[in-house]
Amino acid sequence: MSAVSQTSGAGADKIVLEKAFVKNWKAPISFGVVTIVALLLFVLNGREGTSSFKLTADATAIQLPVIQLPTVATGIVITVLLAGLTAYSAYRVQTERKTPLWIVAIFAFLFLVGFLAWAGAGASIPVYGLLLGTVALSAPLIFGALGGVISERSGVVNIAIEGQMLAGAFVSAMVATLTGNAFAGLFGAMVAGMLVSFVLAAFAIKYLVDQIIVGVVLNVLVLGLTSFFYSTIMTANPQMFNQPARFPRIEIPVLSQIPIIGPLLFQQTIIIYIMYVTVFVVWYGLFHTRWGLRVRSVGEHPQAADTVGIKVGVTRFWNVSLAGAVAGMGGAYFTLGSVGAFNKEMTAGAGFIALAAVIFGQWDPLKATMAALLFGFATNLQSVLGVIGSPVPSEFMLMLPYVVTILAVAGFVGKSRAPAADGKPYIK
Amino acid sequence: MEDILRLTTRRAALAGLTTMAMVGMLAACASAPDAAPAPSASGATESQAPATNADFLGCMVSDSGGFDDKSFNQLGFEGLKEASAALGTQFKQAESQSDTDFAPNINNLIDQGCNLIVTVGFNLAAATDDAAKANKDINFAIIDDNSIDLPNVKPLVYDTAQAAFLAGYAAASYSTSKIVGTFGGLPIPPVTIFMDGFVDGVNYYNEKNKDTVEVKGWDVKSQNGSFTGGFAAGTDAKQAAQTLIDAGADVILPVGGPIFLSAAEAIRDASKPIALIGVDADVFETNPENSDLFLTSIMKGIKPGVEEVTKAAADGKFDSTPYIGTLENGGVGIAPFHDYESKINPDLQAELSAITADIIAGTIKVESPSSPK
Repeated sequence: MSAVSQTSGAGADKIVLEKAFVKNWKAPISFGVVTIVALLLFVLNGREGTSSFKLTADATAIQLPVIQLPTVATGIVITVLLAGLTAYSAYRVQTERKTPLWIVAIFAFLFLVGFLAWAGAGASIPVYGLLLGTVALSAPLIFGALGGVISERSGVVNIAIEGQMLAGAFVSAMVATLTGNAFAGLFGAMVAGMLVSFVLAAFAIKYLVDQIIVGVVLNVLVLGLTSFFYSTIMTANPQMFNQPARFPRIEIPVLSQIPIIGPLLFQQTIIIYIMYVTVFVVWYGLFHTRWGLRVRSVGEHPQAADTVGIKVGVTRFWNVSLAGAVAGMGGAYFTLGSVGAFNKEMTAGAGFIALAAVIFGQWDPLKATMAALLFGFATNLQSVLGVIGSPVPSEFMLMLPYVVTILAVAGFVGKSRAPAADGKPYIK
Repeated sequence: MEDILRLTTRRAALAGLTTMAMVGMLAACASAPDAAPAPSASGATESQAPATNADFLGCMVSDSGGFDDKSFNQLGFEGLKEASAALGTQFKQAESQSDTDFAPNINNLIDQGCNLIVTVGFNLAAATDDAAKANKDINFAIIDDNSIDLPNVKPLVYDTAQAAFLAGYAAASYSTSKIVGTFGGLPIPPVTIFMDGFVDGVNYYNEKNKDTVEVKGWDVKSQNGSFTGGFAAGTDAKQAAQTLIDAGADVILPVGGPIFLSAAEAIRDASKPIALIGVDADVFETNPENSDLFLTSIMKGIKPGVEEVTKAAADGKFDSTPYIGTLENGGVGIAPFHDYESKINPDLQAELSAITADIIAGTIKVESPSSPK
């Protein structure tokens, strides 16, 4: 990203191209607002005490020391650093350079440390729990977002993620209970997500119905169907239909003992390992394989793809179905990976947050994953701060994930550009 | 010609796939025998009770939790069903899917000719108030709200802080880690009243026994704490419980419908001896799958309350004086310890009886900002 700056300073013997630079003050302004918030909270409204950050759980073999920070001093130091970064960002824009992503990352990290120190004054903040919970809360969002990315990259807007996940959660609970096998449940969830996708794909691709309307209708349909069958079948005989076997936690020897990273990456259930692999596979597949090229071409320029012999409709149909299967796995996480039994409206809007993560992540599997992780982190932060006793009212804490998302989308993320043919039916 | 043929096959194939998908979706769900007579879906359903007193029709509107929420909607509905069975009258119910359904559901039931409409929950107050003003000849009863003062509305409210106080005392006595925790669905009075009483009970235990048991997840003074943001038993609720477990809590009070199910899963994952405290009903009985986890439950007499008001209305003895459930009238209380009987301090039961007597006598004052006035 910082490569832009090199054209202006080139030597006389090189051809210097004129370059238009649009000064974009978004980043410094957002930084400034956050810095003012930091000043108000950490300095002017500082809280006495020491904040301790606990990095490892009590039971683990390798123990990291607890980091103790004096709350007020930390607040002042961090506010000064934030102000410095804001000034630097403003300076960069002034000299016609962009604010690179690493500055945004450092800024966010510093603010976070300051906020945690301030909110957790006199208490101990379990950093390991915060991170572990982030993965647990983000997992369904990540699956959902990947489903969204695949579908939208191929040119079909996938509003039905919520429906695909809910169908996945319901079917996985039922199949896993009936067969007594969690893997069968996972497979059932993928099939269920795919079935929802078939409907979306058929209406959107073949019958050219408005994709957003079909998606919304499907969400409502699945919600109604699952709630009905939950109320009638599952509650009548939960032993037979709604007590799924859950995936056990698999510890990878040695690696799982690494502090912080170990529990995150190597002490999870199989569905989380599948998630890590899926993120990589979707990213690699989309950008480094023939499949990915075809998916992206029918999503960007279906006419051109058609001209070179790619069957647009068929490609879209199967990729929307694939997207449903991935989102369905996200649904299975609710029942087989996390909560156990299926409950009415269990996904509680996670599909829509996943959709936001797709857009926020600029239709890129890795960035969308990051967006989902950010949302999960903010949700978990809210819960951790509620427990350690934060000075922020509970109602505000409940808003936190959404506030963070809005701030991130409006302030820090560059322009989000959808695939050119996203949402447009292809008529030959 | 070939093109047309191919097009047609493709179209047929696609149409077939779609149909298969639809059928598949239905079949996947419907593969089980539809044995349950459980009432569901929105709208009014008629009961099959033999009508001896055909004149009276008792009705109920749920909040968005639905009548199978394993919590207060379900308890209220059971109360109506049992009262109607005892009276030999009919009943109708309407389940709300969202907050926008409240008013239409009430109006639907009015059109059905209901004599008594019980609205379940704090959230239905505005809709109940409007309907009661417009229909002075119909009696209403509302659970968990005491804001309506009309001659045809009977509020049924519960001072659950009193029972939660006992549960807090018991939790503090049982805890070995000296940390207990609580979290709620949403920060609304019918939820936070449990948390207030619970914290007060723990503090009373500390005062009495010179102990230092700590409560995580709720601060009475600032009225701030840990909430999941809704009443769904999903990943948020599990994570809230997980956070309490990470903080070292060995007794957890989840307040709000089915969210305790997620907390139970978090405990199973932690594989540590952590106890739960149920709310509304004796959860040991109502959720046998997790009965081994329940130290006790804070019971709220919604079922007897609804039964009573239904019978009174059927006999023409309806009155609008608010019913306030307390320890004194048995409207609230704590459940037996069941499996934990052997694990608690043998003196605990006697101490709780003494506290109950003191609360009834007024020597211990349990006050919560959310208590019914």
